[in-house]
Amino acid sequence: MIIPVRCFTCGKVLASIFEEYKKRVYIDGEEAGKVLDELGVKRYCCRRTIISHPVFIKDGEVKELIDEAGEYE
Amino acid sequence: MKIKFLELKENYAKVLFEDTSPYFVNSIRRTMIADIPKLAIEKVTIYDNTSALFDEIIAHRLGLIPLPTHLDLLNFRKECSCKGNGCPSCTIHYTLSKEGECTVYSGDLRPEDSMWTVVDKNIPIVKLQKNQRLILEAEAELGTGNQHAKWQVVCGIGYKYYPVIEIDKEKCNLCSACVDACPRNILEIKRNKITVRNIEECILCKSCSDSCKKGAINVRGDGSRIIMQYETDGSLTAEKALKEALKILQKKYDELKKCFK
Repeated sequence: MIIPVRCFTCGKVLASIFEEYKKRVYIDGEEAGKVLDELGVKRYCCRRTIISHPVFIKDGEVKELIDEAGEYE
Repeated sequence: MKIKFLELKENYAKVLFEDTSPYFVNSIRRTMIADIPKLAIEKVTIYDNTSALFDEIIAHRLGLIPLPTHLDLLNFRKECSCKGNGCPSCTIHYTLSKEGECTVYSGDLRPEDSMWTVVDKNIPIVKLQKNQRLILEAEAELGTGNQHAKWQVVCGIGYKYYPVIEIDKEKCNLCSACVDACPRNILEIKRNKITVRNIEECILCKSCSDSCKKGAINVRGDGSRIIMQYETDGSLTAEKALKEALKILQKKYDELKKCFK
C-alpha cells in the first residue's frame, strides 16, 4: 500500500518525509536509524510506522505495493 | 504559576511550568489534545477516480492532511450565521484535478484563496498510472480532537516532574556505578564529586539509585515544577496552540463559576 499519512499512534505527519527516507535508506544505503534521527522522527511509534512499511526494489527504483496495484486494469 | 519555554520551534515546544501541580498541567494537556479547534477536510465530492485506491481511502487520506488554521477568521459550521449551509466564514473549498502518470501530492489541492494553501505540500495522496484520473472537490471545516483525530492539533504531548538528584557525599565512595548505569549519560565525576551535567535530560528511571550499593544517590520528581513537551502537526504553531488551549480552559472555568451563582 501507500505510506500512511500519519503515525498510527501519535498522529505525527510522516508521509511527507518518506520519499527522502526511501531514497537515502534503500538506494544510498544509509543506516535507517541515523536517517530517522536526522529527519526528526524521535518517538518509537513513528519509527516503527516508517521502518515496517513494506517496499520492494524493481528496476533500480524503490516501489510500494500501490505501484504494482495500479498496473492492473 | 510561571510558564517558561525551554525550547520553542515552529512545531515543537518544551515548556517548564513552575509553582503548579500535576492536576493543573494535566488539564492543560487534555485541553490541548481534545479542545483546540482546527481546520480539516470533512466532505469530499469525487467526480472521477480511476486510481488504485477506493474513494473512501482517498477521502480519509485527504482528511488527515494538516491545513493552515486562522482561528480569528473561522467559525464552527454549526454555530455559524449561515446555519450550517456552508459560507466562506465556516467552510473552505479545495479542488484537485490530476491525470497520470504521476503522484498526487497534498500541494496539488487548490484552495479558493492562497492563504489556505496546504502547509505540508509533500504528502502523497495516491499514485496514478497512465490514463488514471482523479478529480474531486473538498470542503474543510473546523472541528476538535474529541470528534475525530484528524482535528487534533498536537501530537506526542506528555509531561514529567522536574527531576531532583540528591547525592549523599558521606556515603558516596566514587565507585562510578551510577555514572555507567545512567542511560542518558548525565552523571559525571568532577573534582572527586558526582555532578549532574544537564538535569532536564533525566528521565527519572532511577537506574542510578538502583545501581548504588551504598544508597548514596536518590532521584525524585518535584511535582510543583513540570516539564511538558509537545509537537503540532503544522496547522497551528506550537506557541499559538498553548495560548489557544489556555484561552479555552479559562472559558471553561468561567462557565463553571457561573453555575454556582
